[in-house]
Amino acid sequence: MSRPNGPGTGEGGNLGSTVRIGLLKAMMLSRTLERACCELNPRWFPAEGEEGVIAGAFFGLRSDDTMAPHYRGPFLAYALRGANLSRLVGQALGKANGYARGRALGFTGPAAMGIVPWVAGDLGTTIGVATGCALGFSYEGSDRVTVCSFGDGTTNRGDFHEALNLASVWKLPIVYVCQHNQYSISLHASEVLPIEHLSIRAGSYGMPGLTVDGNDVFAVHTAVRDAVARARNGDGPTLIEARSYRLGGHWASDPGGYRLPEVQEAWRDKDPIPRAISEMVDAGDLTQHEIDAMWDEVRHAVDEAIAIAKACPDARIEDIGSDEVFAEVPDGTSAHLGARSGSWRA
Amino acid sequence: MARLSFAEALVEGMRHELRTDERVFLMGQDIGKMGGVMGGSRGLIEEFGPRRIRETPISESAMVGAAIGSAMVGKRPIVEISFGEFLPTCMSQIVLQAANLHYMTAGAVDVSMVLRTRIGDGPYRGHPQCYESWFAHVPGLKVLMPSTPTDARNLMIAAIRDPNPVIFFEHMWLYHGVREEVDDVPVAATIGKAAIRRVGRDVTVVATGWMVHKALEAAETLALEGIEVEVVDLVSLAPLDIDTVASSVRRTSRIVVAHEAWKIGGIGAEVTAAIAEACFFDLEAPPVRVGAPHHPLPMAKPLRDAFVPDVDDLLRAIRQAMAS
Repeated sequence: MSRPNGPGTGEGGNLGSTVRIGLLKAMMLSRTLERACCELNPRWFPAEGEEGVIAGAFFGLRSDDTMAPHYRGPFLAYALRGANLSRLVGQALGKANGYARGRALGFTGPAAMGIVPWVAGDLGTTIGVATGCALGFSYEGSDRVTVCSFGDGTTNRGDFHEALNLASVWKLPIVYVCQHNQYSISLHASEVLPIEHLSIRAGSYGMPGLTVDGNDVFAVHTAVRDAVARARNGDGPTLIEARSYRLGGHWASDPGGYRLPEVQEAWRDKDPIPRAISEMVDAGDLTQHEIDAMWDEVRHAVDEAIAIAKACPDARIEDIGSDEVFAEVPDGTSAHLGARSGSWRA
Repeated sequence: MARLSFAEALVEGMRHELRTDERVFLMGQDIGKMGGVMGGSRGLIEEFGPRRIRETPISESAMVGAAIGSAMVGKRPIVEISFGEFLPTCMSQIVLQAANLHYMTAGAVDVSMVLRTRIGDGPYRGHPQCYESWFAHVPGLKVLMPSTPTDARNLMIAAIRDPNPVIFFEHMWLYHGVREEVDDVPVAATIGKAAIRRVGRDVTVVATGWMVHKALEAAETLALEGIEVEVVDLVSLAPLDIDTVASSVRRTSRIVVAHEAWKIGGIGAEVTAAIAEACFFDLEAPPVRVGAPHHPLPMAKPLRDAFVPDVDDLLRAIRQAMAS
């Protein structure tokens, strides 16, 4: 059901009920899946509290668009493209069933998913690669787009600035979403950013920049949707600063100690999921009973994925792939890999 | 047959692929109406226009990232980093992204791109750093350094067609300094093969880029003294064709390895070590390495001349190998 004037920011009301329910379910899945990974792997990166940005950015894209998710909360993008949840959990645990076969940090999937994978530990290079995907779309004259997310800390990397400038000069079809959680590990944004709103950085590159409440999934999604439409129309890139807060540690077992507990608690009250639920119940999108059923469904799916992944053996030594470094062996014979399940090439 | 300079041959290779494959495009600085640094893309903008010959801002990391991303969605980008001296500015894109993507995704992603760049001492004494061995050290990259116009063209074609990231080093002294008859029919060379440029029975000299030509000059001088030098042009630093070098060394029993890059940690160190592993007992003398001394590269001509290994350095090294 579509409402002319939604609750909360008013932005959510512009979205149809189906989209709102989809966004809520995406947040629930992201929360449940990433939390499970954190419980199983103390080095996983908690995304709790940032689901409004994650779901708002990647929900509703076309299957031929490219996504380049931030390393914090990457799995929703894969799940939206139909990834097998037990293979994602297995990947986070270095199990044999993971898509990367034990070779990568865990943020990768089949080629057909069109998701820029995370193959290195540095920050910012994926912004350049995502921009390159948009260049490919522009070059071929298609209306495909790329949505790329990254943290507030990453906007201090030169790669961010180089990529935004290049994308704007070439009017590339890309939407940059800053998943602003206020922390670069232990450093608060105020210690490393001389400006309150990094969306103003867009002005340097001649592109629109806007700041949205990252804990309002409907506001994030509306902003991204509009920017995607703009990109698809050939009007170039947009920078969206979606402000949220990292409720968990930098890594799951991060002892913290660098933040005030009362600030953390205050942000817990702004959790994007209960907030969306409350708005949707008030608006009549869903009953509490239906919401309980959604949670049950998501938890059941994730529990099942965990059970399968835990039962899987660790990555097998034969998957080390010493002879699979190149797409083709040096003598020119074909040596394509068994794991190839699709192609990036449209 | 056309008589082409090294630079003209490079452009011919790119032109051939641009004509035959719509997925191919070139991006870099000053590659359009200026015709490219040192004429390295002369004539391409006129034929292919600004969509396929794309001028970029000075943003090497974004340029390489853009090449990687566009390759991932099926394009065949050539990204030009004007000079090898600028490679440190895009190192993470090259070694963390381009090199890793295929392996780390268990084959889901191919990165079919060429990164071309200029290295070595040149006529202008600008930007001459030789960082090629860094890239040969990293798995997942193919690293080429042709020394002849024929190889420049045919390896460029092969590099563009290769489904992997290829780092293509173009020695600046060769650009206008070497010219040869090049077959009219362009073909894709096989990547990963060294070439024997001169056959000789007494000593093997393994060289790269401009040093190949200096080695050939030294060989002429030594031939007058009755020393027959075999000159092996590595051509490809990764994959490294140790088989060709080893079979030469098994015939000559002596080896000199020469490059313009610093001797310490240069590709010559790898060649020497690999030969020691492969055919230590075939050697009649300790291997000799020729490379730049271990200090930063000076600018003034007398200092530069002393720094860059020359024919005299090669003659000394070869005589040393012959003496023991």
